[in-house]
Amino acid sequence: MSHLNRILWCLGTIAVILMPVQALADPPSFSLAWSEYPSWSVFGVAHEVKLIDGHKGKLGPIEKKWNVDIVLREADYDSCITMYGSGAVDAAALTNMDSLNPALTRPTVAILPTSTSFGADALIVPKDITSVTQLKGKKVYGLAKTVSEYMFVRNLQKLGEKETDYTFTNMDPQAAALAMQQKRRGYDAIAVWNPFVLDTLEKRKDTRVLFDSTSIPGEIIDMIVMSKKSLDKPGGKRFAKAVIDTFYAINQRMTDPATADDTLIAIGEKFSNLGLQSMRKVVQQTRFYSTPEQGIALFTGDSLVQTMRTVTQFCVSHDIVPKKPSVSYGAGGTAALRFDPSYMQAVKKRNGD
Amino acid sequence: MVLGLLAVGLLLGGYTYLSHRQHIENPEDTTIPSWSQLKEGVVKAVQPHPRSGERWVVVDSKATLSRLFLGLLCGVLGAVFLGILMGCSATVEALLVPPLSLFAQVPPTAMLAVFFVLVGTDTEMYVAMIAFGVLPTLAQTVHLSVRDVPEELLYKAYTLGASHAEVVWNVIVRHMLPKLIDAVRLQFGPAMVFLIAAEMVVGDVGFGYRIRLLSRLLDMGVVYPYLFYLMMFGFLMNVGMKQLQRLVCRWHDGGRRSS
Repeated sequence: MSHLNRILWCLGTIAVILMPVQALADPPSFSLAWSEYPSWSVFGVAHEVKLIDGHKGKLGPIEKKWNVDIVLREADYDSCITMYGSGAVDAAALTNMDSLNPALTRPTVAILPTSTSFGADALIVPKDITSVTQLKGKKVYGLAKTVSEYMFVRNLQKLGEKETDYTFTNMDPQAAALAMQQKRRGYDAIAVWNPFVLDTLEKRKDTRVLFDSTSIPGEIIDMIVMSKKSLDKPGGKRFAKAVIDTFYAINQRMTDPATADDTLIAIGEKFSNLGLQSMRKVVQQTRFYSTPEQGIALFTGDSLVQTMRTVTQFCVSHDIVPKKPSVSYGAGGTAALRFDPSYMQAVKKRNGD
Repeated sequence: MVLGLLAVGLLLGGYTYLSHRQHIENPEDTTIPSWSQLKEGVVKAVQPHPRSGERWVVVDSKATLSRLFLGLLCGVLGAVFLGILMGCSATVEALLVPPLSLFAQVPPTAMLAVFFVLVGTDTEMYVAMIAFGVLPTLAQTVHLSVRDVPEELLYKAYTLGASHAEVVWNVIVRHMLPKLIDAVRLQFGPAMVFLIAAEMVVGDVGFGYRIRLLSRLLDMGVVYPYLFYLMMFGFLMNVGMKQLQRLVCRWHDGGRRSS
């Protein structure tokens, strides 16, 4: 194996020497699995506006800048977890909670937080239900063992309620939202995420949000994770930086008045059939970490440590993970899941120059 | 037989190699579980769950199989009724054949949302979905095999003084039954596809639910044994239906041999 490595290194060195001649002929390529979600659709949009080219072997300007080939693989969220966990892709867009399981078997580095749920996960009830205690003995529908259940349980804890008094029943969020909108009997509470939160509130006027993820800001984090092994491959770190650079480039387009609306519409296009106004709300409820400063602040702050402690505990007690994964912060270390701000810092430094 | 065993052996060997290769790459991998991980998975699926006290395999089998058989039963009864009517009456035939042949072209999995809207998301939904999924094909099979009854048999029965009802029961049903059993046997697969797809979306118990949940949690050590279980179930149903056909329709097999 080390033999092979040495050969690779030699080839790499030769490639670097020959670079002016070769003119970026074959930069290393890495894959990123993503699903439609506001802060992840960013990558699909980056491909559409040609900042990067998600096809293998083709480079956009950002890929040329970092001399690495980003291969985008779009799939639904569940498949992203499976693909990342099985090693079929180098990086994936996952939440902090869903990163724990793959991290147990594939040492993982979180390189970039993209957004946090601030209202994007909510418990929706008909207007006549005014207190959570009215839900005792009734079923709460949502996708089990996901952020939906997490949001529900955390809010119960905050209200001083016992989780065992309530019944969380598994159902796909789309089906649950549909049942609520049709006023089907027996569906008195659904815990779902956007676009189903906004969609339900819009289509059934006599419903309200009983509680949502605004009570637990920064606990549900959408992020980009990458396998430690892939990071250590030649070009792996450049790939991480290129992904981060892409994310902030699209964020810049969202703040620039000239391109803001177009970008937002592009992001929302495949996410839901909600209009521009609703998409504005969506990005408020899915709060983007839109600058390197915000991302770095999250990854270096104390609150993240507490958050991950809570999340890990939840995952262990709800049989989501078979054992407790080790979590660490900052560069270096051998923890299963490591939050590393250094790639964001590197991108910030290079772009600041 | 020897070749069959060899093929199975090769498959198992191939799997062992795949899993081995994945574990060299990453010793902790759970996506292509090793045999010992599979064993743990089986234990996990079979033993009572520490908190709820339920055995996954038992609750899932109960849920999925009751949905499957109820759905198939409704579908078969409906198909036999419609099929015989269509075969015996030209009016009903003209009325029902066009919509049925059109309906047969819509995959029920594509209509999931429609089923949620029309029949909710409880047991009725699974039953309705399977029933509607298998009914068009089965009804057409029954219809064709009724049309297929040799005329001389009908004339003979009427000449011997049989009433309409007796002709239907003693000639037509007997002629159609073995073909129906064959058709039902072939519809198990599609029925299972519809059911698992629906369970993946709205189930809170059942094979589809468990497989989706555990895939998301990357617990493939349990998922693979579940797939194996499904495979064995399908295989046994296939064999069982063939046996049933042989037992119930003795005339069918005998007829083939003598001709």
